[in-house]
Amino acid sequence: MSIDALVWAALALTAAGSFCAYVLSVRRLYLLRSDRRHRAGEERLATVTAALAEGDLPRADEPSEADLELVAELLARYSRQLTGDARSNIAGFFESHGLVGREVAHLGDRRSWRRACAAFLLGDMGSPQALNPLLRALDDSSREVRSAAARSLGLLGSGQAVEPLVHALVERRVPRAIGGQALLTLGSEALGPLRPLLLHREPNVRAAVVELVGLLGDAGDARLLTSRLRDSAAEVRAKAARALGRLGAEEATIELREALGDRIGFVRANAAVALGLVGDRASASALLEVARSDEFDPAQAAARALSRLYPQLLWSAARDRTSGPHLAEAADLTAAAR
Amino acid sequence: MTTLRTALEILALVAFGYFAVLNTIYLVFTGLAWRAVRRYRLARSYSAVDEAFASPLTPPVSVLLPAFNEEAGIVESVRSLLGLRYPEFEIIVVNDGSVDGTLTRLAEAFELVPARKAIRASLPCARVRAAYASRRHPELWVIDKENGGKSDALNCGIDAARYPYFCAVDADAILEEDALLRVAKPILDDPGLVAATGGIVRIANGCRVDHGRVTNVRLPRSKLAVLQVVEYFRAFLVGRVGWSGMRSLLIISGAFGLFRRNLVEAAGGYAQGAVGEDVELVLRLHRYLRERGEEYRIEFVPDPVAWTEAPEDFATLSRQRRRWQRGLGEALWRHRRVAFNPRYGLLGTLAVPYFLLFELVGPIVELVGYPAVVASAALGTLSPAFFVAFFVTAVLVGVFLSVSALLLEEFSFRRYGDDGDAVRMVLAAIGENLGYRQLVTFWRVLGIVDMARRRKGWGAMRRRGLGYAPVGGASKGR
Amino acid sequence: MSGAMIETNGTPLVLVADDDPDILTLVGFRLERAGYEVLPARDGEEALALALERQPDLAILDVMMPKLDGYEVTQRLRDNPATSGMPVILLTARVQEADITRGFEAGADDYIKKPFSPQELRARVQAILGRR
Repeated sequence: MSIDALVWAALALTAAGSFCAYVLSVRRLYLLRSDRRHRAGEERLATVTAALAEGDLPRADEPSEADLELVAELLARYSRQLTGDARSNIAGFFESHGLVGREVAHLGDRRSWRRACAAFLLGDMGSPQALNPLLRALDDSSREVRSAAARSLGLLGSGQAVEPLVHALVERRVPRAIGGQALLTLGSEALGPLRPLLLHREPNVRAAVVELVGLLGDAGDARLLTSRLRDSAAEVRAKAARALGRLGAEEATIELREALGDRIGFVRANAAVALGLVGDRASASALLEVARSDEFDPAQAAARALSRLYPQLLWSAARDRTSGPHLAEAADLTAAAR
Repeated sequence: MTTLRTALEILALVAFGYFAVLNTIYLVFTGLAWRAVRRYRLARSYSAVDEAFASPLTPPVSVLLPAFNEEAGIVESVRSLLGLRYPEFEIIVVNDGSVDGTLTRLAEAFELVPARKAIRASLPCARVRAAYASRRHPELWVIDKENGGKSDALNCGIDAARYPYFCAVDADAILEEDALLRVAKPILDDPGLVAATGGIVRIANGCRVDHGRVTNVRLPRSKLAVLQVVEYFRAFLVGRVGWSGMRSLLIISGAFGLFRRNLVEAAGGYAQGAVGEDVELVLRLHRYLRERGEEYRIEFVPDPVAWTEAPEDFATLSRQRRRWQRGLGEALWRHRRVAFNPRYGLLGTLAVPYFLLFELVGPIVELVGYPAVVASAALGTLSPAFFVAFFVTAVLVGVFLSVSALLLEEFSFRRYGDDGDAVRMVLAAIGENLGYRQLVTFWRVLGIVDMARRRKGWGAMRRRGLGYAPVGGASKGR
Repeated sequence: MSGAMIETNGTPLVLVADDDPDILTLVGFRLERAGYEVLPARDGEEALALALERQPDLAILDVMMPKLDGYEVTQRLRDNPATSGMPVILLTARVQEADITRGFEAGADDYIKKPFSPQELRARVQAILGRR
């Protein structure tokens, strides 16, 4: 290392450091001004945008070209809070100003974050014109884009998206939580394509589908789910129990009581939770037994279930010292809540 | 005399080599961090947290809050947790035998009533004296136990937790509303794969905290605290983002980390008596999973924030840094098998060696090496001109790294909106390299000395709670 | 009770509390267009204070608010004899069954899920206010 090299290095670093400081200050000034403008604009346009969203804006008050971007941004944000007619009004606005077309074009951008942004925004915009482009985006090379597309397809509300979404879920192109939530947003339309998948050969697919059917389905689906209580995979059995509870399937009580004897702990726990929701008095004694003597998770679930189902039994059992900590906990919790 | 000279020369050379390598690494990391943080910032605009909040598919979390003598801030901290935007979660405060009013404050603020809590016996912990439920908040539990240290308290919390994931939070940390949602995002995306995630810790001194929320982000008044703010940018934004990207994140801050409960249980829970229990656990998880050949990820999310209080006086700060160094050293020693071991992938070949050489031993090199350089210059082995040039360059490199970390913050999260604050931060970035870092290095060496001493008396050193005393020293009321 | 019945100018007063300003804008707009007077609040404490001071005819409360959440505000409104009869609608994205039950147990009269339909909101408000 010679001195000259060091001197050069020092100069370079000073230059770099000063440059950074300069950039920092310039950027701050710029952002400060643009932030202020942005906020003022938002305040000014809030009411107009709300009116737009509710389809209640007289033509004369339509926003000018200059305000368009800001209104679009606000409207996209508002759309996340709204459902119903408001969403069609909002979609109409975006379509008429060519903004849907613009974002659809961005779906072909070579930067994945830009595609993901576009996919996300199209959901907020809510225009059916975006349906096919988003369906294609489910096959994008970037997972972020696929996730954003899935979420937006949920928001668009078209039944046509159900099967592609389900396939994307099954093939793991989209995370379970995101694809699942999109299907939940689509609602009961998703049930049709989902039901046959209850018998898919992969257990994690069956499990995901069972969970979704439990959240979307109606009493008629109870029979399908009850058969899954005897699935070979524990996760499926557990989710089936949970789903039956959610559906309020009282006719499944007997099978659920059987599931209380499953050899896997979390299946028993889920069965207990379900019985807390749909069980009858007859189930109470089975729950009591689990709460007294089973492993931690099933015992706790059973105790809590009992507090929903048959609180008097819970209290009398809890008074007995040998009945174990879970009954005591559940009893004390219920007492605290009063 | 010549032997002394040669010795000094060698030392000086070592110091130069160390300096060159370390700063190259820092520069590389700064580059990596820029890419990653920018990407993350962009990803925020399509991250769909609202949907996750409303979704029944979002996994439930047990939030654990170990507390020892935290009467000053515990209520605020619990309030911030109660206000978390997350679909399903419970809060378990573990009162680790506090001798102050921690329990009383909690009882008053949240209407606690005694309630028996079922607790698993899978992880050992000190005796539980009582448990309390809250009348007003059914998701809040307080467990009162005998003092056993932070690890002990956390293990007790894990034993009491209902849900498949737990989030360990420091008692003086204030979590942002969306913090749990954001730190859980990697788990939502890959539930079977992600074993643990950590969020960023920022310094709350100077910020206004109201009802458990940070309402105004400002720099602290104390110069010492401002220096730490800048320091944290480098450590968190640059350091952790980089390692996380290389699948070798070593440290998930004890102030804010999310873990899969079964996994931690299987790995044995937090290490009793460990001073750096957060580092130790993450290292152990890495080992546990790699030794079983399981695919996994442990990630750092640069966005969700836990605000904590930084020490504003030298005594507390020095204690903190000594403790951190000791914690790191003990954890690395416990898991020394990982070092330079290709069986552990990049963790073994890059991350652990880096921490060993540059974070653990590094301060010693600095402490010994730089005076050696000075001495060499004095003795004439080194030309004074060269020495001056080197010294100036060294400072400028440091300043550049600090300022670029500031810039990174500016271009990504931009929390410090006030311009006066921005100026102060730039000044601090310079000042950090002119004395502050050197001081911290000195304390870290002391930490290593501490470690060498105490290793003999491991069992005897279960200090009552000093292991994680609130770093604010004289506890500040908020 | 009688205080709530007397309106100074015949326009029903509706308190809307949410920390999200977008909600305040949207709900405020819809209700004002429907002929109500809207009283905005940004957090639970402000909501409670305004409710006690101005005695609105209806309170629409977000559940997740800083300082006091929607459940707590509802509870306190019920506990206070001056406001115990005030109708409360809870507005929130959180619709797990436990949350709904908790809302009704706290004393709420109705529960609207976010995202919401402005038309439906207006209809529910009219229904509740029409009853009085």
